[in-house]
Amino acid sequence: MIPPIDIDFVSLNFVTIVPMLIAIVGALTILCIDLFAKNLDKSFYIILAVLFLVVDLGSLYGYNGAVRGFFDLMLVDGISVLAQFIILIGTAMFMLLSLNKLRFHENNYAEYYALYLFMVAGFQFMVSSDSLILIFVGLETASMALYTMIAMHNKDRALEAAIKYFTMGALATAFFAFGAMIFYALTGSVELGVISQVLVESNFDNYPVVLLGVAFMLGAIGFKLSLVPFHTWVADVYEGSSASLAGFISVVPKIAAFIVALRFFEIFIAADDKVVEGILYAIVVLTMTIPNIIALLQTDIKRMLAFSSISHAGFVMAAIILGTTQSTNAIFLYWSLFLVTNLGGFAMLWLNEDKSKNFCSDHHLAKYAGMIKTSPIAATMMGLFMLSLAGIPPFALFWGKMYLIGSAVSAGFIVLALIMVLNSAIAAYYYLKPIVYMFLKEPVENSEVQYLSNASTPLKTIVGICAVVTIISTMMVEPLLEIISYYVQISGY
Amino acid sequence: MEHILSILIFFPAVAALIGFMVSKESIRAYAIAVTAIEFMLSMILWYMFDAQNAGMQFMQMIELIPSYGINYLVAVDGISLFLVILTTFMTMISLIGLTEKRDLKNLVISVLFLEMTMVAVFLCLDAIVFYLFWELSLVPMLYIIGAWGGKLRIYASIKFFLYTFTGSLVMLVGMLYLGFVYYQTTGNWSFSILDWNMLLLPFDMQMWLFVAFFLGFAIKVPMVPFHTWLPYAHGQAPTIGSVILAAVLLKMGTYGFVRFSLPLFPDASAFFTIPIAILALIAIVYTAMVAYAQEDMKQVIAYSSVSHMGVIILGIFALNVEGIGGAIFLMISHGIVSGALFMLVGVIYDRRHTKMIAEFGGLASVMPRYATIFGIMLMASVGLPLTIGFVGEFLSLLGFFKVSPIITLIAGLTIILGAVYMLVLYKRSFFGPITNEENKKLTDAKGRELVALVPLVALVIILGIYPKPILDPVNKSVTQLVEVMKIKAIKPVTKTKLISANSIGEVK
Repeated sequence: MIPPIDIDFVSLNFVTIVPMLIAIVGALTILCIDLFAKNLDKSFYIILAVLFLVVDLGSLYGYNGAVRGFFDLMLVDGISVLAQFIILIGTAMFMLLSLNKLRFHENNYAEYYALYLFMVAGFQFMVSSDSLILIFVGLETASMALYTMIAMHNKDRALEAAIKYFTMGALATAFFAFGAMIFYALTGSVELGVISQVLVESNFDNYPVVLLGVAFMLGAIGFKLSLVPFHTWVADVYEGSSASLAGFISVVPKIAAFIVALRFFEIFIAADDKVVEGILYAIVVLTMTIPNIIALLQTDIKRMLAFSSISHAGFVMAAIILGTTQSTNAIFLYWSLFLVTNLGGFAMLWLNEDKSKNFCSDHHLAKYAGMIKTSPIAATMMGLFMLSLAGIPPFALFWGKMYLIGSAVSAGFIVLALIMVLNSAIAAYYYLKPIVYMFLKEPVENSEVQYLSNASTPLKTIVGICAVVTIISTMMVEPLLEIISYYVQISGY
Repeated sequence: MEHILSILIFFPAVAALIGFMVSKESIRAYAIAVTAIEFMLSMILWYMFDAQNAGMQFMQMIELIPSYGINYLVAVDGISLFLVILTTFMTMISLIGLTEKRDLKNLVISVLFLEMTMVAVFLCLDAIVFYLFWELSLVPMLYIIGAWGGKLRIYASIKFFLYTFTGSLVMLVGMLYLGFVYYQTTGNWSFSILDWNMLLLPFDMQMWLFVAFFLGFAIKVPMVPFHTWLPYAHGQAPTIGSVILAAVLLKMGTYGFVRFSLPLFPDASAFFTIPIAILALIAIVYTAMVAYAQEDMKQVIAYSSVSHMGVIILGIFALNVEGIGGAIFLMISHGIVSGALFMLVGVIYDRRHTKMIAEFGGLASVMPRYATIFGIMLMASVGLPLTIGFVGEFLSLLGFFKVSPIITLIAGLTIILGAVYMLVLYKRSFFGPITNEENKKLTDAKGRELVALVPLVALVIILGIYPKPILDPVNKSVTQLVEVMKIKAIKPVTKTKLISANSIGEVK
């Protein structure tokens, strides 16, 4: 006879899943409202969803120190809280981009916003656990929602993008499951803490199998982080999705994946495993360099930003190899500054999105020629974000880059620092391209380019906020670092 | 006026922002007024500056990122004082002489932003903030060259940007490493040069760091073989761009050597003296020859700039008071003279829309005033005694004579080459009969052009005869700099080298 399960309610520690619950309840609320009230405007749903995110953010406030719950499945530690901050703020900002002027297919469905919230809940689960199973569940919840959202965009290439992302994602899922299985077989646990302990105690017994597991996990995480050689989907998926969603994909899912990577590879970095370190090192260098070079060839700004965001991911992945407290700080500093800048950059593309077919692609460089003459403020804003992405001081991302390169130098990885620096120089070239087109070239004559045709007051406000933050970021680095190092330290990284 | 340095830095930036609201018609007057006020401020700074004090003055510090040791730290000493004045003065003069008509507002605002970054580079003592302004100066310059330049302007501006950007990124790694070294030694992060000066660095670390900083500075100077961006940048830039580039921006590189490389890495500096001198020598000889072959007036002056920067480098790496002081004086005089020459080319380009030497000839008879000013500037550029160009060149070479008489001799002889191409340029375009019909109707320099050029002529002669007011404070600070180098040198070889280079009347 099966013994009755006796669960002490307090031991579940419900507090740990309150943030996710809020997002899920929010999504369900939106779906229910849609069932009964048919003709509500999209802005209602957007604001409602953002409100739920704000409440979610509020519920996060006050976590300090690692909290475990649900039979130790949940682990809300400092880095989890930090990542959730970035995820929630990022999602809210990107969601507000849907308050655009033109009518796009997907924005008119309440489900779109519900999916957003489900996805957020998925990411939150992903970052708040060190159990491979729960990470897997979070990952799948988020990914499924994201596939659907891409497919809802009704441009020609959206379906292609969604299917591509889905099939590749399915493969990554399989990799993840397989990797988890191997580690379970090796150590008898799916909890990263236990896995690490057992592996270290057994002195990495059965090393080839461990490596096989690492390879599978690398495939899975690498796909989510778009590390080379698992990056091939990125450009097409970005091109197929709307600019606002593409921007979202470039920032928010990745921070969730970074946390997983940080927790997982920490096992090997802390044990100073030369082979895994070597593999990661090679991947990081390739991820920084190859997409950077491909980005040089792009004529479409969105594709260019897609490749450049792969390179940025490679940059941050480097921090994981370094494995010092400073480098862990750098991940969050870099990513929060990248969030602001990239949000601004993609929002500018989104503002200029139109339904015409003047150019062979949505955001062809030629479309932006001579923009300083026709809409100077928009051109200046976009130039600002490009300069920031290129790492020109004093704009936001420079501080992220500086701190990250600084942490590489401090950890003794001078060569890596030089590779990062050289890549920044390459990146500067393609980030200059839009600037050259906007500021230095004459407008194309007789083309009916409409700038800002998708602009609405809320969108302009968001871009304005991003621009201000990008400019005054110098003042914000210290407080940000204070918060980040506090949370990173309490979670022991 | 305790915050005069911050006022000097941020006044042009604030003025630039307000400039967006000024009407198109009055923007030029506005810009001249702003830069004149800025120049007055820098004169007040000179007035308040204590010439007897060799150390840093008017120091001000604001914490930016204290946990990582990055602070806004500004101060001025004899070395940077005159470079700041040069910046404010030349910016003002270049705006007075500005002839550009197209998109004037954007141009003026860019120049004002540029002025902020240039002044800040000379005043910031925190390496990261220094780097911040150093890089930021690329942006307005990119725009100035790229939007108002000649046919190849986009290529030229991107080349300029990428070249200098790449070099300085390597320098950034060096800075971050030095910050880390400071952290390791003291337990605190700091990026202040004053703090770094307390560090005694092992020799091989000095070598690597020297190379990292060298890349950043050498590209900016530009030293051969990193000079290839400069002829393009000058050739394509509008007049005001060339003036500011030659007068101030290039000095940022040589200033970097004086401020960072010498005191921080004395042993490496002494070690690299001869290789760098040889590079400088190549610059002097090779670019002088290239300058001779140019068909374009502006290119002649551009290459002559590279050539003269070689002399400055030679002076700096003499590692003695005469050499370094002379080099700093030469930076100032080169700033004035090359700025004036570019402006003069701009004057003729404005009238004829060509800069080819072959198009001209006999200009002296139609434009006597113009020809006179051009002649004086040319003499100063060649280094004729009693002009400003002579003092610095003489002192730089004198300084290096103590290090290596042979190299100095070759360098000295090749200065004759400079005279050759400059005089040939003058002969071909100003003397002889008027060959081109179009040149007969040219009007002489007048009004605004004279307002811009005459003060430069006056300075060239006054400072050429009586350079003491500048040389004294410069030498005071340089003496202290050399003392710091002597104290910090960890190898006995360096110490003897420094002592022998600084001894009086003794030649190696």
